Amino acid sequence: MATREEELLAPYLQVRSVLGADGTPVGPEPDLTPDQLREIYRWMVFLRVHDQRLLTLQRQGRLGTFAPFSGQEACQVGSAYLLEPKDWIFPTYRDHGAMMVHGLPEVNVIRYFMGDEWGSRAPDGVNVFPISIPIATQLNHAVGCAWASKIKGEDAVAVGYVGDGGTSEGDFHEALNFASVFNVPAIIFVQNNRYAISVPLHRQMKSRSIAQRALAYDIPGVRVDGQDVLAVLSVFREAIDRARSGGGPTLIEALTYRYGPHTTSDDPKRYRSQEELEEWQARDPIERMRRYLVAKGLWTEKEDEDLWNWAREQVAAAVAEAEAMGRPDPAGIFDYVYAELPWHLREQKEKLLAELARRQGEVKRHG
Amino acid sequence: MNVPKSTLVQMYRDMVTIRVYEETMAQVYLEGKQPVFNIAAGPVPGEMHLAAGQEPVAVGVCAHLRKDDAVVGTHRPHHFAIAKGVDLKKMTAEIFGKVTGLGRGKGGHMHLFDPEVHFSCSGIVGACIPQAAGMALAFKMRKEPRVAVAFFGEGAANQGAFHEGLNLAALWKLPVVFVVEDNGYAISVPKHKSTAIATNADRAAAYGIPGVYVGENDALAVYEAAGEAIARARRGEGPTLIEVKTYRYFGHFQGDPEVYRPKDEVARLREDDPIQKLKNHMLQSGLFTEAEIAGLEAEAKQRVEEAFAFARASAYPDPSEALMHVFVD
Ligand SMILES: Cc1ncc(C[n+]2csc(CCOP(=O)(O)OP(=O)(O)O)c2C)c(N)n1
Ligand SMILES: Cc1ncc(C[n+]2csc(CCOP(=O)(O)OP(=O)(O)O)c2C)c(N)n1
Ligand SMILES: [Mg+2]
Repeated sequence: MATREEELLAPYLQVRSVLGADGTPVGPEPDLTPDQLREIYRWMVFLRVHDQRLLTLQRQGRLGTFAPFSGQEACQVGSAYLLEPKDWIFPTYRDHGAMMVHGLPEVNVIRYFMGDEWGSRAPDGVNVFPISIPIATQLNHAVGCAWASKIKGEDAVAVGYVGDGGTSEGDFHEALNFASVFNVPAIIFVQNNRYAISVPLHRQMKSRSIAQRALAYDIPGVRVDGQDVLAVLSVFREAIDRARSGGGPTLIEALTYRYGPHTTSDDPKRYRSQEELEEWQARDPIERMRRYLVAKGLWTEKEDEDLWNWAREQVAAAVAEAEAMGRPDPAGIFDYVYAELPWHLREQKEKLLAELARRQGEVKRHG
Repeated sequence: MNVPKSTLVQMYRDMVTIRVYEETMAQVYLEGKQPVFNIAAGPVPGEMHLAAGQEPVAVGVCAHLRKDDAVVGTHRPHHFAIAKGVDLKKMTAEIFGKVTGLGRGKGGHMHLFDPEVHFSCSGIVGACIPQAAGMALAFKMRKEPRVAVAFFGEGAANQGAFHEGLNLAALWKLPVVFVVEDNGYAISVPKHKSTAIATNADRAAAYGIPGVYVGENDALAVYEAAGEAIARARRGEGPTLIEVKTYRYFGHFQGDPEVYRPKDEVARLREDDPIQKLKNHMLQSGLFTEAEIAGLEAEAKQRVEEAFAFARASAYPDPSEALMHVFVD
């Protein structure tokens, strides 16, 4: 029994990689131009700066609850970089990196985390769905979208993002089963950052990998080093090609780690050790890619310095633009769901507006 | 495999009881519903899902269960209930909506609850999976040597509840056995149009638990597979997923025009009848005479007749009971 199980699981336990921990290639490098390699690196640096800045803004009271992705940049960039504009992504609250790589303006992301629904409205032609807060529900949306693409005879691919914790949801099962039965061009991308808030993976599932869950749906399941952007890109290239050519869905599990808290209302020190964090930081995806580029003669120290400065300026400008838009309208929570508000919501909206006006008056009298 | 004579008796008697019960129900159900089908009319109002043909799954598994083990069934529950030992009279009265029924007539055919033998079921497809896992969790936490079994269709295996139930049962090593009855269809949808994989037993590998496929609609084959799974659960070694290939002789529900399957499919399937198969085995084993087997059959028929007579003779609940047993306060 044990040997048969080993044999069955072996392909799902193997971890695909391109870069070693120090950035030297250990596997076949994807076919990318020097400009593309530099662009990929630029994206990761930009995302790190963006993420750290938004975390600070939240601490200063200038942003709402925020879910940082620092540490997961290789997943964010590697999963979205090769997509074409016609492809769709269905993100979680920790995938605004991928959303930006796929074309969502940074100011939208900042406005979203400031509590403005407008942030979720992707400009026309940017195929990015709004963030799903209910865990794993977006996978079914992605599969439905891919099905539509197939029915319409288009070749657009849909990527559904989910965390390790999200794979324990029934929606994960329903999405993968449906995707396989209807052979749709979908990619289900699991960023296994080892925690669902404070719950470590070994307390979420007995399975030895998330990739092996593909067995239940007779589809390919791939495990990849999520701190290696070139490896993530490589498995995505294969999955995208397969989906686009009618070969059906793929499940991808990336082994990754978030450096920061689950969200700004979490303290990770209470459930994981400093040593564990440092172990992962030693395999930082940005640093590995930098070393790789330098070794290939594609990158200099001066360029690196300029890049980090450029990123800071970009982010500062986007923050300024977002803040200049003023505070979101509280009554906006009633909009965008119904074409016509049902009576009970209309009543609530009127009440809220009256209450806000009353408080405004009070502020004027006392302030 | 050496199956004790008493077990063969139990399995055969239960299989015949189930078959006679379902065939009787198919007749009685039509009373008052003709010539124009009126689902609310007659002695048995509401929908009706019958399990004739699927007897091996229920009896093969339940033959290993004790009275205090729990079984959770589906919208097609009669065979499970009978095999688990639910009182046939009270069950029939329940289906008739009578006050003498298991739930004083409130539940009907899809809601048979018998705390006496720890049987329950419901019309929500897939619900039994987390429910059985939850019961198994309770057994484990209380350190009771009891096992829970969830029976469900191959259609239900594509519900999210399947995934959530199996994941947690595997993770927490719960004393539960999941039994998929693959009768080929979920209403009108054939398995290959709803299920990404040929056999659900292979899905066990996704959860790191054993999966067993029983490819024939045979009580002894089910008995063998279930024996190991239930023993494993009782030893504290965690869950097993079993799938059994079985047949549904009637439509999905009574009144189903069955346009989704070839006209002669059922006739063909009936040729390979599991009751006849067990009977042949019993005769060949030399443990039984024809007369003994005929005696078991007569006993089963009589039980069913008595159950229906009891249900017919019972009274309907008083309308004042409508709110009884709904809220504690
Ligand atoms: C359906 C649902 N249940 C619970 C929650 C609360 N919740 C928010 S994030 C989270 C953990 C998700 O973990 P994982 O999928 O690993 O993603 P990660 O946050 O690590 O990226 C939970 C339980 C929710 N948002 N939705
Ligand atoms: C959650 C839910 N969805 C849909 C239904 C409607 N429904 C009743 S039975 C059934 C098919 C079930 O098929 P399967 O699980 O294969 O069991 P079988 O009827 O073949 O025994 C469906 C979809 C339901 N009762 N519950
Ligand atoms: Mg996680």
